[in-house]
Amino acid sequence: MSMRSNSSSSYSREDDRNKDTSSPSTLDSRFNQTLRNVQGMLKGRSFPGKVLITQRSDPLDQSALQSPSNNIRFSNNDIEHGEQLDRSAEDVIQTRSNANASSSANKTKASTASTENTSNEVQKTVMGARSTDSARLMKFQKELSGTTVVLEKLRELAWSGVPPYLRPTVWRLLLGYAPSNSDRREGVLKRKRLEYLDCVAQYYDIPDIERTDEEISMLRQIAVDCPRTVPDVSFFQQAAVLKSLERILYTWAIRHPASGYVQGINDLATPFLVVFLSEYLSGSVDTWSMADLSPEKISNVEADCYWCLSKLLDGMQDHYTFAQPGIQRLVFKLKELVRRIDEPVSTRMEEQGLEFLQFAFRWFNCLLIREIPFHLVARLWDTYLAEGDALRDFLVYIFASFLLTVI
Amino acid sequence: MGSSGQGQSNFDLSFKILLIGDSGVGKSSLLVSFISNAVDDLAPTIGVDFKIKLFTVGGKKLKLTIWDTAGQERFRTLTSSYYRGAQGIVLVYDVTRRDTFTNLSDVWAKEVELYSTNQDCIKMLVGNKVDRESERVVSREEGISLAKEFGCLYLECSARTRENVERCFEELALKIMEVPSLLEEGSTVGKRNILKQKQEQHTPPAGSCCS
Repeated sequence: MSMRSNSSSSYSREDDRNKDTSSPSTLDSRFNQTLRNVQGMLKGRSFPGKVLITQRSDPLDQSALQSPSNNIRFSNNDIEHGEQLDRSAEDVIQTRSNANASSSANKTKASTASTENTSNEVQKTVMGARSTDSARLMKFQKELSGTTVVLEKLRELAWSGVPPYLRPTVWRLLLGYAPSNSDRREGVLKRKRLEYLDCVAQYYDIPDIERTDEEISMLRQIAVDCPRTVPDVSFFQQAAVLKSLERILYTWAIRHPASGYVQGINDLATPFLVVFLSEYLSGSVDTWSMADLSPEKISNVEADCYWCLSKLLDGMQDHYTFAQPGIQRLVFKLKELVRRIDEPVSTRMEEQGLEFLQFAFRWFNCLLIREIPFHLVARLWDTYLAEGDALRDFLVYIFASFLLTVI
Repeated sequence: MGSSGQGQSNFDLSFKILLIGDSGVGKSSLLVSFISNAVDDLAPTIGVDFKIKLFTVGGKKLKLTIWDTAGQERFRTLTSSYYRGAQGIVLVYDVTRRDTFTNLSDVWAKEVELYSTNQDCIKMLVGNKVDRESERVVSREEGISLAKEFGCLYLECSARTRENVERCFEELALKIMEVPSLLEEGSTVGKRNILKQKQEQHTPPAGSCCS
């Protein structure tokens, strides 16, 4: 691992911007490779990785396991199918074409190029992929149409990617926010959404004199951070989006005093916002306008985001409490894992004095949202959410692969 | 690639600089503005980040390793270890937000006192966002007076328009080079690896670790 001068310590989207001109199509393929490598590393681990891998005839697991840093060429596997399902998502949640930043022109070009690249690759196996897609869609629909959704089966399916139009439903189920019993579902969601409104009324919609000094400074911190959340996606600059984000984050923070609001949690709310808004808004995310939505719809979306964010963070409370011990522990595990997989890289990093905390802390704090293009985040989160309780350990594997792929 | 830290160095001196101050005052923007001339909006810094800049001041080729820290209190345990061995510390505030200015005395100066190991370390007070003159609430005079109190350099700048951005790091570097002990550190530490935190105590002095 070498440090580039005049550059950031860690692989970030800013770096992509600089690299775009030289290697426009590497981003998406690098992302795919990361997920594939993770599959390789997960060999021998219990569900769902193992189940999925034994079901697949993936000849590349071996090489991925032995040397994830090699440039392994993949032609066809399940992740790509997931990706292909996602291509319709790229129409909906379109890449980050940003009207104001000059660099975004390059980015858009780059991602268009890579999409074309993917479709070229897919062309070769188009028949197979298509039949698999419709078969996968059928499986999802079958799973979701029952009176009781079998979560284990849904997890298995979702791990390889969820069709975008089913994503809101699937995510709510995977997080345990919507009950698996379909008879109860509507009632529970309705109740939860009302409960959220109550919370907002009780905690957010009050004058500052009723808040403690601590609460005021937390609200101020959230207000400072909302306008700089995913700054390269212009949709997040809309006043109504900022307001929604602020309400969600503040309400969450007040109800979780052990951690309160910690920077980075604002990032974690964004995939939920985009996914739940996609139920009501179509087309590219950059063309979305909150003005097209009724206040009721907005409050439903907010409530869903709030509860799903809560569910996600329930499993990682100590990531955000004082001194963030949960993250410290995972960074240590990552370091150990990388040493086991690739001793030379590990040694080299040590020689250079590069510490894992210096780059991996942010990865765990924001779950890689900062490191990959925003339009790919929802796909990555399909897999995260499918992992359920195992997510924390799974992150270590994803990040090890991400690190070794980047190198 | 990565050769700057080893063997034949393409710089004469190497310094470690630290950026601190409240969340949202523009520490990262200042750094990005200095490094790459870009003025894009940035997401809040998580933990610490760093960038390296090679530039020439007073006829010397310098390598600056600039550590950018998160302003939020929750990250303080992480960021506090980066004060060690810094030759320069930039305390940044936002001229349009008074609380970021008062926190320099209430919070940040105390952090420096507590964690900086370098007695001679050069400090610089920087008031950012002067491009938003109409929203200014902290006057230049107040800034200068606090800088006098702290005994440090002072400058107002704008990361957005890049006004005074280069000057800020130039003046800091020049001042560092005027202090013999820091100059000495800059010429020996540079031969070692500046990223290394813990090495400061353990490594034998004067370049014994490189080829």
